[in-house]
Amino acid sequence: MTVYSKISEDGKQLTISIEERFDFSLHQQFRAAYHDNVTPDLTYILDLSKTDYMDSSALGMILLLKDHVQLHTGTLIIDKPNDTVNKILEIAQFHRLMTIT
Amino acid sequence: MRENKLLLPIAISISAMILANHVFLSSASFFYLLLFALLSLLIFLTYKEYTAIALTSPSNESKHSAVESKLIHNVIFELQQFLHQEVNIIENELLRTNTLVNDAVVGISNSFKSLQTLNEEQQQMIKVLLSYSTNKDNDNGINLEKFASDSNNTLEDFVNTIINTSKQSLKTMNYTDDMIQQFDGIFQLLAQVEGIASQTNLLALNAAIEAARAGDAGRGFAVVANEVRALSVGSTELNEDIRNKINEAKDIIEKLRMSVEVMASADMTPTLEAKDKMSVMMEHVETANKKTNERVDELSAISPQIVEAVGLGIRSLQFEDLTRQSLESLQMNVSSIHSISDVLEGFNRDSNNDIQLQLMKLKEKCQQVYQETKEAEDSRSVKQLCMDEGDVDLF
Repeated sequence: MTVYSKISEDGKQLTISIEERFDFSLHQQFRAAYHDNVTPDLTYILDLSKTDYMDSSALGMILLLKDHVQLHTGTLIIDKPNDTVNKILEIAQFHRLMTIT
Repeated sequence: MRENKLLLPIAISISAMILANHVFLSSASFFYLLLFALLSLLIFLTYKEYTAIALTSPSNESKHSAVESKLIHNVIFELQQFLHQEVNIIENELLRTNTLVNDAVVGISNSFKSLQTLNEEQQQMIKVLLSYSTNKDNDNGINLEKFASDSNNTLEDFVNTIINTSKQSLKTMNYTDDMIQQFDGIFQLLAQVEGIASQTNLLALNAAIEAARAGDAGRGFAVVANEVRALSVGSTELNEDIRNKINEAKDIIEKLRMSVEVMASADMTPTLEAKDKMSVMMEHVETANKKTNERVDELSAISPQIVEAVGLGIRSLQFEDLTRQSLESLQMNVSSIHSISDVLEGFNRDSNNDIQLQLMKLKEKCQQVYQETKEAEDSRSVKQLCMDEGDVDLF
């Protein structure tokens, strides 16, 4: 249950990785990972490849991240969610809102 | 018989002549005499024989005619009896066949009508079925497809509500976190206020010391210094109270955080399962609907075929007319035979009448009946032909 964030060398890409459970307990860490970054036109990559559980608060957090990204004219990409997580994203119809690879 | 009698004298005379020729070869005149005598005898015998035949002939003929007339009467009687019986049987059978055909036709006709009615009812039912399965705007709640799609929409709305609730809760939580940061700022400010109070206290203490050193002149100032000290102590206590209150608020905010966590964190697994089930159900409903529609379509396609088959059956019932015509024709033929039979009966009744006259009458009757039957048959054949041509259209 850890949040890692990393800015790429060229400074154009912010990667946030979530390990294991993505739930309410992470909300402060998750927000902290992007909240102070106000660089415009940044690409935000939410790496969910190591996430094995996600509840509705995670969806809420992603939507808040989406709001933040839109506010700073960036792009949000959700990266490599596993089948279960992807199904939840599908139910939430996130495919219409953002890019999921 | 007659020829034998004639031949015998000739044979005898020729034999005698040959014998005499042998015995009396020397005397030619005797031979000629004998030949003459024999020829005379032969002529006489021949004449006698012819006369006898001429005498016996008339009586023989009359005897012969009587026997034949009686035989003819007997034969004609038997023939009339036979014809009468056969014709009666044929008439009865004709009547029976007519009744049977009529009954059968009525039965089949009723059966076809009932089949037609049933088919109409079935078609109505199919129409109702079709309207149920195809009418998308059916408000009666019978449409399973609509129900499934509504359920799916409801589930989507539910998911959206959950996510929005989570989002708003988290937003609230973010604001709360920001607020807590503000609280920390307040604590820092409070610390500064506390520092001021402590310095004021120290200042008041110094003032009191200075007032004591001044003696009576400083007595009033000592009172002021004491009051200032008391104020600083009060200020410190107030500060502590504020800190405690803010800490209490922080505790409450922790409770709020837990409460919001419960609100924001919905396990999506049951929703996921529900969604999966819904998809399976939707698929099932779709398949079932498709199959039902296919079958209903097939059913509605069969109905006109049944109507056609029933129509064909009803048209086929026209065989009754043809059969009746055939039976009527047969009836006529039987009547013809009957009329002949009647004439034959007259033979028996007037047995004393001249047989030749009666035979002539019979012959005339036969010719008349033959002509009538022939004409009737010809006209019937023409009619039948017309009927056959008509049937091509009907069948």
